[in-house]
Amino acid sequence: MSVLVYVEHAAGVVDEPSLQALTLARGLAGGDALQAVCVRVGATQSPADALAGHGVETLHAAAGEAFAAHAPCAIAEAIVELSRRLSASAVVGPGTERGNEVLAHVAGLLDLPLAANCVAAASSDGGTNVTRVRWGGSLLEVARVHAPTALLTVQPHAVPIETTSSGAPAVETFTPTLSDAALALRVAERLGAATGGISLADAKVVVSGGRGAGSAEGFAIVEELAGLLGAAVGCSRAVTMAGWRPHTDQVGQTGTKIAPDLYIACGISGATQHMAGCKGAKRILAVNSDREAPILASADYAVIGDMHEIVPALSVAIRAARSS
Amino acid sequence: MRILVAVKRVPMTGGRIVLTEDEQAIETRHLGFTISPHEECGVEEAVRLIEANGGESVVLTLGPGEAEEQLRDAMAIGIDRAVHLVTDGEEWDPQATAGAILEVIREDEAANGRFDLLLFGNESADTGGYQVGIRIAHALGRPIATGLKAVTVDDGTVRCEQEVAGGRDVYVLPLPAVVTVKEGLNLPRYPSVPGRLRAQRKPLESRSPVRPEPRLERLRLVVPEGEGKQAEILGEGAAAAPRVVEVLQQIGVV
Amino acid sequence: MSAAASALALVLVAAVAGTLFVRRASFLYRLVRLGQPADRSGDVGRRARTEATVVLAQRKLLQRFVPGLVHALIFWGFVVLFPTIVMALLGAVDRDWTLPWLGHQGWFFLLVDVFCVLVLVGVASALAIRKVQRPARFEGSHLGEADLILGLIALIVATLLCWHASRIALGINEWPEDWSPVSKAISTPMDTGDWLEARERIFVWLHVLTILGFLVYLPYSKHLHIATAGLNVWFGRTRARGRLEPLDFEVEDEAALRLGAGTLADMTWKQMLDTMSCTECGRCQDVCPAWATGKALSPKLLIMGLRDRLFEEGPGVLAGGGATALVPGAVTDEVVWDCVTCGACVHECPVSIEHVDHIVDLRRHLVMAESRFPDEAGAMLRDVGRSSNPWGKAQADRAAWAEGLDVRVLEPGDTAPELLYWVGCAASYDERARATARATATLLVKAGLDVAILGPRESCTGDPARRMGDEYTFQAQAQQNVATLGEAGVTRIVTSCPHCFNTLGNEYADFDGRYEVVHHSELLAELLRDGRLEAPRGEDGITYHDSCYLARHNDVLAAPREIVSRIGRPLEMARSGKRTFCCGAGGAHMWMEERGSAINEERVREAAETGAKTLAVACPFCTMMLDDGVKQIGAGLRVADVSVLLAEALEPGAAGGPAAG
Repeated sequence: MSVLVYVEHAAGVVDEPSLQALTLARGLAGGDALQAVCVRVGATQSPADALAGHGVETLHAAAGEAFAAHAPCAIAEAIVELSRRLSASAVVGPGTERGNEVLAHVAGLLDLPLAANCVAAASSDGGTNVTRVRWGGSLLEVARVHAPTALLTVQPHAVPIETTSSGAPAVETFTPTLSDAALALRVAERLGAATGGISLADAKVVVSGGRGAGSAEGFAIVEELAGLLGAAVGCSRAVTMAGWRPHTDQVGQTGTKIAPDLYIACGISGATQHMAGCKGAKRILAVNSDREAPILASADYAVIGDMHEIVPALSVAIRAARSS
Repeated sequence: MRILVAVKRVPMTGGRIVLTEDEQAIETRHLGFTISPHEECGVEEAVRLIEANGGESVVLTLGPGEAEEQLRDAMAIGIDRAVHLVTDGEEWDPQATAGAILEVIREDEAANGRFDLLLFGNESADTGGYQVGIRIAHALGRPIATGLKAVTVDDGTVRCEQEVAGGRDVYVLPLPAVVTVKEGLNLPRYPSVPGRLRAQRKPLESRSPVRPEPRLERLRLVVPEGEGKQAEILGEGAAAAPRVVEVLQQIGVV
Repeated sequence: MSAAASALALVLVAAVAGTLFVRRASFLYRLVRLGQPADRSGDVGRRARTEATVVLAQRKLLQRFVPGLVHALIFWGFVVLFPTIVMALLGAVDRDWTLPWLGHQGWFFLLVDVFCVLVLVGVASALAIRKVQRPARFEGSHLGEADLILGLIALIVATLLCWHASRIALGINEWPEDWSPVSKAISTPMDTGDWLEARERIFVWLHVLTILGFLVYLPYSKHLHIATAGLNVWFGRTRARGRLEPLDFEVEDEAALRLGAGTLADMTWKQMLDTMSCTECGRCQDVCPAWATGKALSPKLLIMGLRDRLFEEGPGVLAGGGATALVPGAVTDEVVWDCVTCGACVHECPVSIEHVDHIVDLRRHLVMAESRFPDEAGAMLRDVGRSSNPWGKAQADRAAWAEGLDVRVLEPGDTAPELLYWVGCAASYDERARATARATATLLVKAGLDVAILGPRESCTGDPARRMGDEYTFQAQAQQNVATLGEAGVTRIVTSCPHCFNTLGNEYADFDGRYEVVHHSELLAELLRDGRLEAPRGEDGITYHDSCYLARHNDVLAAPREIVSRIGRPLEMARSGKRTFCCGAGGAHMWMEERGSAINEERVREAAETGAKTLAVACPFCTMMLDDGVKQIGAGLRVADVSVLLAEALEPGAAGGPAAG
């Protein structure tokens, strides 16, 4: 018996949600072996080194030109083949868009239940008990998966990564048998971002400036911070009314409604019309000089003070954290 | 062409969730309901495709009797008819949901011919299972693309654009196909009053499928700690920056 | 010329003029008959009073004293001079004919002389205003036409004076000439020379022909208002000004469904009469907040646009043809969406044109028939219908502002309170406006009133949807709220939102919801008066901003001022009371993007000019808009609701929370 984890990587670099999935899966595996599966195209770097310290016994690299372009169903077929071979008691993946898609294909192929976006899991009495998120994280569900092989994905950034003393796993490359239908389901073309920027509605992080920015030029520091975070730049209605930013940048009920993981609102008081546009944000960080500003009633974190001092200091601190 | 779009009735929580006493559901006594946002765009897309190509659009839901409201809403903006799989209000797990929908599709296709496109939301706003559309694609042996922000039908194929970090991935699928879409795909129109009145007279077929034992069984719901609390003050002025970075690292942004 | 020949000539000329007049008049009449129904029957006493004050006493015109007086002189002049038309017609046939009795009364001819002069003074002043002063309100009006009409009026009066003078010169005046000082003065230079008799004939015929010419020209010109204004005023709205006419969705067949005005065929007969009554005076344009801030809407140009379309397409429609879309054909989309429904135009209009009803009907068609409106407002419409509030907030949080206050939340089955506090969405959810709810509730409880709130069962009244043109969503909200209020046994309501106040008090009766509704400012003023609340006198300068839906639409002017003068030193803005200037949020503009310069900033500048440090308001939307305006232009003003100011005066520092400013 073993627990199999699907690991996403780009040229050997494993993303955090996959490592978080490994942490959760290790707990679920108990004494059983933890195995990982990834795809590998030609002679590209395998992520084995990146998996050192995560308790993985063997990394199974599914090889084949089929994986040169993203092919979710083909990955799922490879995972199914492997999990059968390993008699996996659970298959775990990262709860990213792609991770969820691949695991759902696995669930479709095996006709087994899938618990998406779990934050905790434990096996008991021939089944698996999980805690998973609903409503994008506003609600948790305690559920039981009734299946011989539990299929789970792990909610990103909900499980802190824990490392062990284990070394890099052994790598076993295998060439899965893929169906024509699965091979046909692959990315045919990659388009660059339409405007070069990240769209406000889809951004995972949004940094907005309000009246506190003071002028159109005041947005330079907001843009700098957004650039560092890979975030989209937004603003309040006061800003579009003043003509400092175009209406397309407005976060609010009469602008764009956003649902990022993090919303950083700088110099925004938090008028109702603005809050109606950002209520989908999972976390709000307010940077405001006024302790009594309405936005503090809805924010998760706040820094009190002048955004013109705080925002550049944040950019400096982020750069410093990255370079260390 | 023929298109089926599946929708789900979800409450408008307005951001704050309160549970019923038995912790089995959200307290919806004072809440309004809507079609889950991704699927609302799915409905609009179905209407646009039929307007452009001709044919028939069908909306389907699995939900309580009140979900008729969402079916009428879909018909108000132009869907031709509806199928309602009426439940007693108890939640169905994704596998059971897919099974019930599959049965409707098979019967409808036997009677009226194949659906060229089956449209689903990428995931529902409430339970967020990410799987019903994919399960149906596998059961029917049809190609599927998920999380789409653009859908173009042309000459027996559907071109699908999926938003990924840094751009869009394009899949080109032969019809018949299954697609799951995301909010932002289009801007759903506001229903006209004649549309709403006509929707009251459009055909709606009700069925009462039997709920199988759930294989993903909900035990109880929990509101996460820290929801609705006051903001945590991380500090004042520029000196707060290191503490902010710590928090950003915790939540995976840095 | 013999009397017979003169009579024949007069009959011929009058027949031609009469035919031309009747042809046009009948076309206009048939057009109006084509209009959709609008019930303007009943209320005869009230209509008669309005007719007396607005038409006879020229009350609305005299709101602007100088141009009003100019018009009043001409108008009253023509009322007095009316019998002289008959006298002239008789005199044109035979110089010895005149009206029995009146034609011999010296006092009447004194009046005629006096009013002839006053009319000429009026015409001269009107020309001076138009040619020298050139007020901006005439921008877009037909100025040449006005000049021609003023010329004709002057000619009519001048020929009358000359005719009378020539009769005095001839000595054939039937009245004592000493009663006609002006005519007599003119007669003196006429007294000599030949052609005296012919001159008398020429003047009377010139006079008669000018009148007949005027009669023919009248129905083709904007001066049609002489015939229509009296009617339009008579048929004006008699019910609450803030109330909109409900639409009926319970129709058998879809074709009978009237969703506002899509083409001229959808306009009511009153709306058609409105367009025929407009004199292009521009008083509406002058007070319009949209026009004042550089937007596309001018209420005058709106009505002119509709009138032009009516006259262009009317003949075709009367012949059984179709009509084309009013938007964007007659008016643009921008014009329709610029309106804040403040009603300043309606208040100002001397001929009772109901501009806001036109706008709302155009919106109703765009929203309900075509789903066409500014994109950004869509979220509000959906949220009102689905989430029961225009920002999509959680209903469970509706009473969150009341946490820690001793306010009873009515649960189903509870005994009805004496007074229900209808909080409204803005004061329930907006952090700035919540201060109003907290202060109001605290004060009412302090005064010992049995007051309760509905909490999560309170739902948007539907006002923003209705003003946006979505009558369907509004009616669903109205029916739901009327049911809730009925179940709760509510009979008396206090609201802190003028929009809720207007909707609950003036509009819910159409949906069987009848309550005694008071605004919190009225109730608080009453409690102060009765001594149930005691506030210390204050000396700080406070300027009070009248909310349109309180002052103009519902006549609540005194109560908030009572509070302000009790706790501070009142300072009035240039535009106040029923002639207040909108904050910019009305007509669902809280949920639309503003084009042009900002209305709220314009108003804040005006408030700052008073020198006050506090800008008092009595509306949560005014609170938000004006507070935004203060921040935007950096004015040194604090915006606060009268209830917040009163609560602070009673107990400094107790109003609590992030009060605006």
